Amino acid sequence: MSVLVRQGRPEVIESDICIIGSGITAALIAEKLTEERQARIVVVEAGDETVPLADRPAHRARFVAYGENPWGVDHIDGMTADGLQSRSMQVGGLAMHWGGVTPRFSPEDFRVKSLFGIGDDWPVSYEELDPFYQEAEERIGVAGEQGPAEMDPRGKPFPMPALPLTYNLERLKRWTGDSGIAMWSQPSSKNSVPYRGRAICCRNDTCSPICPVGAKYSPDFTWEKLRASRQVELMSRTLVRRLIVDDRSNRIVRAEAVRRGRGGQAAAPVHFRARTFVVAAGYAWSPHLLMLSRSGRFPNGVANRSGMVGKYMTGHRNVFAFIRLPMRLYPGINEQHSLVTKQFMRVAGTDRYMRHDLRVWESSVGRRPRLRDDAGAVLLGDELLADWRERTATDGTARVRAYYDVLPHRESALTLDGAATNEYGDPRPKLTFRDSVESAALRGPTEDAIKALFQRMAKAGNGDIIRSGTDDFQDHPGGGCRMGNDPATSVVDSYGRTHDHENLFVVGAPTSVTGGCANGTLTFLAVGLRQATAIGREFPARRSS
Amino acid sequence: MSSAAAANPPIAGGLPAPARQPNATVLAAIGAAVLPTELGAEGTRRAVSDFQRWMDGYRPSAEANHGYGTGRIQHLPADPRPRWRSQLAALDQDARRKHGQSFAALARADQQSLVRAAVSEERGETLPTPLTARHVALALLAHFYDSPAATDLCYEATIGRQQCRPLSTASQQPVPLTRRGQ
Repeated sequence: MSVLVRQGRPEVIESDICIIGSGITAALIAEKLTEERQARIVVVEAGDETVPLADRPAHRARFVAYGENPWGVDHIDGMTADGLQSRSMQVGGLAMHWGGVTPRFSPEDFRVKSLFGIGDDWPVSYEELDPFYQEAEERIGVAGEQGPAEMDPRGKPFPMPALPLTYNLERLKRWTGDSGIAMWSQPSSKNSVPYRGRAICCRNDTCSPICPVGAKYSPDFTWEKLRASRQVELMSRTLVRRLIVDDRSNRIVRAEAVRRGRGGQAAAPVHFRARTFVVAAGYAWSPHLLMLSRSGRFPNGVANRSGMVGKYMTGHRNVFAFIRLPMRLYPGINEQHSLVTKQFMRVAGTDRYMRHDLRVWESSVGRRPRLRDDAGAVLLGDELLADWRERTATDGTARVRAYYDVLPHRESALTLDGAATNEYGDPRPKLTFRDSVESAALRGPTEDAIKALFQRMAKAGNGDIIRSGTDDFQDHPGGGCRMGNDPATSVVDSYGRTHDHENLFVVGAPTSVTGGCANGTLTFLAVGLRQATAIGREFPARRSS
Repeated sequence: MSSAAAANPPIAGGLPAPARQPNATVLAAIGAAVLPTELGAEGTRRAVSDFQRWMDGYRPSAEANHGYGTGRIQHLPADPRPRWRSQLAALDQDARRKHGQSFAALARADQQSLVRAAVSEERGETLPTPLTARHVALALLAHFYDSPAATDLCYEATIGRQQCRPLSTASQQPVPLTRRGQ
């Protein structure tokens, strides 16, 4: 179905900085810019407003009871693509239903070429990012435990004490210790103490998809504050469709958008004019917008003279297992919290490149109530409860999972889908993730080695593997506008400035070079905050900053 | 009204109050037959009432929570309640045909026997989810066993799964459940 766009003179909105997208990176960049610079900031979001915090307990109740989507109107029909990791297009973006898990990458992630002779280095080091990691952790509020210094380097302490290990995790930590693995509390953007006006975590187990008390950070909290103080103007339901380049220079002069109509009304054209444009629309919609902005002068889209827009899409896969252990655990104490280690991320050079994280959770797999006994007879009444008790009296289950580094092929790519358009007639994106040749060759041995590790862990605890497998999609996606020092092989520099247009920046996830082997959000934020320093440099400093 | 409220109207109270169902007597009798006796009469009544309220609040084909690792939008199943209502009536008719009494009037063993026959098509070892249960007796059973109260009953400990609880007590072994009469 196509949507009518009203003809006539478009509304024109002017600002110093126009940020396209309102996800977590956009939120932190906008917050930093308002604190440090004198600039009028307009944020443009294609999706709807999100569910207010006050309404989240009721929405959560329906998610728990029925499995309903708790986020209301959180996507736009037609704004989808083959290969998308998830759907969330509303104020706050994907991080409205993230799990709040915030590990840092390790120093090796930024230097795989130098250290291991494989893939590509990032144009920024862990040491350079450390203060921006810290800033991100302070802005969103991260509760974390300092791991052993040689595994977990950081310049300053976490802003909040760690989430306490549960009774279950304490027992599992002793088990992993027996397996020769040092583990600690997973850093998380969940309040272990009241933080910046938000509540303490009450471990209600639904962090992902929805925290009903606001203890887990979500970007709408930042937007609410910035909007209330009139520091930014955030326009929702406004889809940017093109970036327009000045005829006589390479500067972007405007973003052309439509304000989506309600109830069958025509969409209204809006033009955003700004000195600086910041594309903060995530790994899929950022390269998509650059490619849609093609013209006679820029036939492959803006910022794409190198042909690198949409290339080198990143991510990582995981191998998982459920392990029966002879220890009584109590599933449900704080199900989404886990142990973590960087022991396998911080490896020295080896014959065969293999790096991965490792996490351990409590689990109820294999210990749930069942309808039939081993002989196939239906269990009812007291028999069912007795059977359940017997199967949980002495044994527990650990869930283990390792994300391993997948290095992207150049043709791990987002392209414009010639066969499918959205309701405005624009081609949809199409994502095809692909391992580099060297990474593809390592896949089998890596997955086998991780499974062997799980076997050793099970054996060390006198347990056994209930089941194991590999999630075949690439998680925590990024890339598509990767950063680099060479304009021939990258789209932006390490500060997010596009090589081709001095006033156009791309920030956060799409600028990633590789996917690392841990959840990516905190790294996207650290990179984004560093990029914000360059974005802000062109505007007068605030006196207090 | 703010644009946020327009897009996402608040859901008053989350779940509705239970409504009287035409087959409430049969459902209550099924509860007494399939739920553990340890719940006692009051606990069983509560479990059945919770199930009834859950049924009343169901919104067929509502958008489901997004799956992880996919951009596909999925929806909840069509309304199972008409099927479940006929199953309640069918159980009562079976009872009258085989035993000459209503289902509610039968001995527990006879009730269980009728339920076993009715759920025999459910082939899997695991309990289905309440919404995918083919039979109302299984839906009731699954709804109860999916509850935090059932987990506490199994472990005989106050875990309080999915409830808001103090973070500070997370590292402690859950306190043993106080049994009735203790």
